[in-house]
Amino acid sequence: MNWVSENIALIGTLVLLGANILLLFPSTGRKSGIPGFLLLPVTVAGLGWVFLQPTGDLVRDLLFYMASGTAVLGGLLMTTQRNPVYAALWFAVATLGVCGLFVINSAPFLAAVTIIVYAGAIVVTFVFVIMLAQQEQGSGYDRIPQQPFLATVLGCLLVGTMLLGIEKTFGPDSSRLSVDRTALHVSSLPVENDLGSPGGVGRSLFTDYLFAVELAGTVLLVATIGAIAIAPRRPQGSL
Amino acid sequence: MSWEFFLVTLITIGVAFGGLMGTIAYLILVERRLAAFIQDRYGPNRVGWAGLLQPIADGAKFLLKEDVIPGYVNKTLYILGPSIAVFTAMAGFAIVPFGPVDQAPSWMRFVIAPDVNIGMIYIFCVGSLGVYGVILGGWASNNKYSSLGSMRASAQVVSYEIPLGMSIIGVVLMTSSLSLNDILMHQAKFGILGWNVWTQPLALLIFFVSALAETNRLPFDLSECEQELVGGFHTEYSSMKFALYFLGEYAHIITVCFLTAILFFGGWQFPLIAEADSAYLGATLVKVVVLLTKVLLIILLIMFIRWTIPRFRFDQLMNLAWLGLIPMAALNILVVMTAKQFDWPIWTLPLGSLAIFVAAGLIGTSGKFIVSDQTVDFGESPEGYAHVHS
Repeated sequence: MNWVSENIALIGTLVLLGANILLLFPSTGRKSGIPGFLLLPVTVAGLGWVFLQPTGDLVRDLLFYMASGTAVLGGLLMTTQRNPVYAALWFAVATLGVCGLFVINSAPFLAAVTIIVYAGAIVVTFVFVIMLAQQEQGSGYDRIPQQPFLATVLGCLLVGTMLLGIEKTFGPDSSRLSVDRTALHVSSLPVENDLGSPGGVGRSLFTDYLFAVELAGTVLLVATIGAIAIAPRRPQGSL
Repeated sequence: MSWEFFLVTLITIGVAFGGLMGTIAYLILVERRLAAFIQDRYGPNRVGWAGLLQPIADGAKFLLKEDVIPGYVNKTLYILGPSIAVFTAMAGFAIVPFGPVDQAPSWMRFVIAPDVNIGMIYIFCVGSLGVYGVILGGWASNNKYSSLGSMRASAQVVSYEIPLGMSIIGVVLMTSSLSLNDILMHQAKFGILGWNVWTQPLALLIFFVSALAETNRLPFDLSECEQELVGGFHTEYSSMKFALYFLGEYAHIITVCFLTAILFFGGWQFPLIAEADSAYLGATLVKVVVLLTKVLLIILLIMFIRWTIPRFRFDQLMNLAWLGLIPMAALNILVVMTAKQFDWPIWTLPLGSLAIFVAAGLIGTSGKFIVSDQTVDFGESPEGYAHVHS
């Protein structure tokens, strides 16, 4: 019980989050989602109160709150939307929030590439497929979640475990806060103004992580060839 | 972040935004007059001298018409669609320099966001979000023709983003920078022979074609082709919301023309009157005028293309991107990389471009690899028609 009382804030927020998600889930019995939406600001504020410590830089803090709030809100609404098109759009919003976090942490290249790949291509493909497959609202069993309670509890447990793990590893009490760079065999540390720029990312990728990059490239190539091999061949071309 | 910085930014945004809006209004007039000229008509010539007040009349009409929102549309997304279209088109312009940045007067900057070190990638990033305007508008309209138009648009834009991004990699490799101003200065240093169009002609071709497809201009306006889809994704839009879609499209075209002029035609550089080291009185103004003239010429070229080349069929459009432009762009990158690595002389680059272009042409016309021109007798069986168009 000692542990519970120590982490009462975390557990309380997670319970609040779970209750909110359950209220937001579409169900057959309840028509209105208003209680869930009313609880939403409380949940986001609670999450912020537990996990966010202001750094003192007002502009940076405000930008951080906006970006992270967008990401969390987008994620919550994505999972609880009845309409798959809305879900895909909220996913795009969540991606934009995460990219805002990247920009704040001086990684503009990563942010731009994430937006191009996720928001600009993958979600567009999702929406494309949804619009193709589903002109009407979908059948009844598609429109309500089958195991809302179990899914919410397990999801919140997973989030709690991850948060605890991150706090134990990188939190203010941990001794591993300052990562020993020499132990990682990182030879070319990017200089300060090079950090996160295309040049810095490229140099890091093609010197320190060359093997991983080549491996990933090979796997992608094999996957591409496999996709082409699987795709149906028709006598008049495959379009 | 001083007050002066803030003020200068505001003035720059004001100048860029105002200039963009005014230009767009008159570009629509130019387009209509040009269309009339090509089709042997008069075009709008009644309002004001030779129709010069027509844009104002058009704008007033757009604003004063009844704002119809049909009852069967998804209201939120219906309104969000045109807003996204305009927002992304305007945001893309933020890093485009519209004058000599290092000779700017103290009260203005010639570029809204000067220190974006990802440069070109930012434009692709914002541009890739622009497709949401078309998709959401078409889907929210709850109309079969709109949905078809927006589905075509999403497939087209996602496909053509790839050659668009790949075509500029050669230019970026030559300059070792993604910043538009760095690319411009790199060309301006060497005079007219330093323009990237001489070393990267194939990249210019791929960039220009893909950019036309990205802006949904004819011959790539499959998403709004009138003969098949009524109006495509904007069938259900009227008054100002329809105008917003047009505004976004034209802002996109202007950005693309600026990019073409800066990436391939040396930006504000022109022999004798606007060199990199010319600092006579009014040199700044001359450079701005040179850049804007180049942009205007490219816009006119796009308008001529619109009324000259007929529209593609959808499978031809897809094959052009995936079988034509993307392999050519990849080979072009390979040539530039090899030339740079082994310090080959500069004249090998246009030769390489020419070789790729000729090889692609030979392969494309040899008949062995043709997959697009299927000769199917549509009259014989409905399955044949459905097969080709599925």
